Amino acid sequence: MIHARQPLIELLHLHRYFGKTRAVDDISFEVYPGEVFGYIGPNGAGKTTSMRILATLDEPTYGDARVDGFSVVDDPDRVRRRLGFMPDYFGTYENVNVREYLDFFARAYGLRGTERTRAVGSVMDFTLLNTLAEKPINGLSKGMKQRLCLGRTMIHDPSVLILDEPAAGLDPRARIELREMIDRIAQLGKAVLISSHILTELGELCDRVAIIEQGRLLATGSVEEISSHAEVVSRVSMRCLDDPQPLVNWLKARADISDITLDGNRVACTHEGGQENQAILLREVIQAGFQILEFSSKTKSLEDVFLHVTKGKVQ
Amino acid sequence: MSAEAIPQSAAPRATQSTTPGWFARFLVRAEQLIDHVNPILVKETRQALKSRQFVATFLVVLLACWGVSFAVVAIIGPDVYYVASGPTMLMVYATILACPLILIVPFFAFRSLAAEQEDNTYELLSITSLSANQIISGKLGSAAVQMMIYLCGVSPCIAFTYLLRGVDIPTIVFLLIYFVFLCLGLSMLGLLAGTNAKARHTHVLISLLVVLCLVIVLSSTITSIPEFVERGFVDLQDPWFWLSNFAALTFYGATFSLLHAAAAAQIGFTSDNRSTPLRKRMLLLHACFLGWISIGSFFGPRSPEFFLLVLLTAAASSAAYWYLMGALMTSEWPHLSRRVLRSLPSTTLGRMFLTWFNPGPQTGFMFAVSSLSAVTLAGLMLILFFPPVGNWPSRDTVFYFLLLSWCYTLLFLGIGKLLIGLIRTVTYVQLSAGFLVHLILLLLACGIPQVIFLMTPSLRLGSDFSFIQTTNPIWTLVTLIDNGPLAVEANTLLIILGPAALVVLLLNIRSLIVDVHHMPRALPERVAQDEALLHPPPEPKPINPWEAEASSASSEVKA
Repeated sequence: MIHARQPLIELLHLHRYFGKTRAVDDISFEVYPGEVFGYIGPNGAGKTTSMRILATLDEPTYGDARVDGFSVVDDPDRVRRRLGFMPDYFGTYENVNVREYLDFFARAYGLRGTERTRAVGSVMDFTLLNTLAEKPINGLSKGMKQRLCLGRTMIHDPSVLILDEPAAGLDPRARIELREMIDRIAQLGKAVLISSHILTELGELCDRVAIIEQGRLLATGSVEEISSHAEVVSRVSMRCLDDPQPLVNWLKARADISDITLDGNRVACTHEGGQENQAILLREVIQAGFQILEFSSKTKSLEDVFLHVTKGKVQ
Repeated sequence: MSAEAIPQSAAPRATQSTTPGWFARFLVRAEQLIDHVNPILVKETRQALKSRQFVATFLVVLLACWGVSFAVVAIIGPDVYYVASGPTMLMVYATILACPLILIVPFFAFRSLAAEQEDNTYELLSITSLSANQIISGKLGSAAVQMMIYLCGVSPCIAFTYLLRGVDIPTIVFLLIYFVFLCLGLSMLGLLAGTNAKARHTHVLISLLVVLCLVIVLSSTITSIPEFVERGFVDLQDPWFWLSNFAALTFYGATFSLLHAAAAAQIGFTSDNRSTPLRKRMLLLHACFLGWISIGSFFGPRSPEFFLLVLLTAAASSAAYWYLMGALMTSEWPHLSRRVLRSLPSTTLGRMFLTWFNPGPQTGFMFAVSSLSAVTLAGLMLILFFPPVGNWPSRDTVFYFLLLSWCYTLLFLGIGKLLIGLIRTVTYVQLSAGFLVHLILLLLACGIPQVIFLMTPSLRLGSDFSFIQTTNPIWTLVTLIDNGPLAVEANTLLIILGPAALVVLLLNIRSLIVDVHHMPRALPERVAQDEALLHPPPEPKPINPWEAEASSASSEVKA
């Protein structure tokens, strides 16, 4: 991915305290144009609080956040013109249909005349809500409401989108559709900050992720970077050409190996260490004279990385 | 949304029309006009017209009017030609109209803002390009539209009362005008209340208070309708009628503007400068009050007693007003945001005269004290031109009242502000909490001596005033007005309160110096860039014929 020089989202030593509770405690990261940035952490980790600060709905106790170079504290009006925020609730009105709802927000964002009509039409096309234009919002399903809210978020063509748990409560089909939409939004060069509990989807969707727990940033980077940098435990499997028992005995003598199982001529064990240590292990096994046909380790999913980084303290 | 990325199927329908007739052109023109209308007004009007609640209420009002019309015509029968039944009918219709205009529309205005916070839609609204002022104006506009619909519904019936004789057109017109102003004023108050209904428990409490207040206003309006209609309040020939209405209008306008700014400040972003617009309006309202009271005294009876009474009223009202406003201003958050620092006055003159309009408790304290001081000083100077009169109120009474009320206001505001500052070293103090500190201080200062007074028989059975009541401004000043300066030993009181007030003023001036030294900050580079994009500087105009020729030549080359 090509990063433009100027990040669209910057969190600069962001702190937010509620009394003695440190909801956000010194968080800093940047999101660039065209990037989908996943924000993951257990409940109460501070994701929504920091997203609300970015959306100018709350103020930091210390530190600052910038959207397209504008401070959320000093220039909230300029930030709001550049930002679309989709909170984890719908926020719909009674006695309003889909077109009227989008039309209202288009007007509220200062779109006038044909510009407004075109924006409403484009968003309805994009979110596949064309056929539901005259339908009252209260009669929409959860997935449709979610699409409508995404449409509302995009109505003024913001360069930054902040999506708080957009896939929560959606069925698999709606999730896939949402994922495709977010992918297309990123292709338009917008920066997308997204939080979700569905880590498998985030893993596929996000270019980079930030993991936070108890208000603190634990790791930032791509899933691969985080998993390689973290001190991880992985399951390693080796297939031997001849009798595997000597290899089992050799492995048992090592401190970084545990939980060895034998299945035919395949030996599986738990190895403590990152990918570099796995390469060293393979080299040492071969140097010890064992004939290895196959060496593999299970690739870490975002879920594994998250559980490892957060020490499994998911609430 | 990028035009290339997203299909543009929904092109405007109006432009697709190939044969635009007059109606199509009218629609396009109407659409263009609506583009300039507040979006909230558009949305809420759409919602209201679809709302069962609104339709039901409107139908009830309409049916009530029709029912009354048919019933009365049936009862009067042929006598309708001989009996002037217009006033009675107007009273009935006005009573019916008062219900939606005084109860339903203002409550709807309150609910529309409170419900936004309840339904989580307020946050979505607040992050749009709409300013806090626009949000409040939109909600108010929606209330005004509803009011107009009710008025339109009832207007044929009200016109009917003129045909029934006994009531003139000015009475009908002014009755409706007063209703409109009352409805808008109450809706504004409802909106201000709605901005405070953020938490669920406060929402319930404020809802009850709003309903209670509206019911009280409704009942008092209904009871005053017969007097208004029957006593011929409207006299177009009387200059006092026009003067009093004009005074009421300007006073209404200033108060309305203050309430609007207060409501907008409640929902505005915290780093915004929400204080300066409020202070300007506070000053405007007070100037309006003083202006009209001066005009009133000029046109009133030419007697020193009347003038002194006017002066006393002005002094008492000013002290109460600036205490109330000062209590709010001294409860403001003491730190100026970077956004506010950017907008501070930069010139020497600006810093000299406009610093008191900057947000913060220190400047707020000085703003209230200096405004009251100006009134007190003007009052004292005016008194010098009057000979001592023995009747009530005496010149001495007004003289001491002016000085003592100034001392009390300064003392209570200053001590309250110092207390809030102390509490702020321990915990965060909101504006409402700061105001509560002021209120508690005043209650304690009035209540404790009053309790001692009531529980001590020697004091109770003795003279009216005791020095125990020194801290009780209400008792002291009321006794001063009722019984004169000797009854409260005004000289001694002044010797006690005067230096105390000056000490409190000096204590507060220390922290004020920090605020005066705040210097305006430059715009951040990114903001300056954006500002230049949004508002590009106008191209320089040619100042002589040669430059004009050169510019036209260059434009031709470009073309």
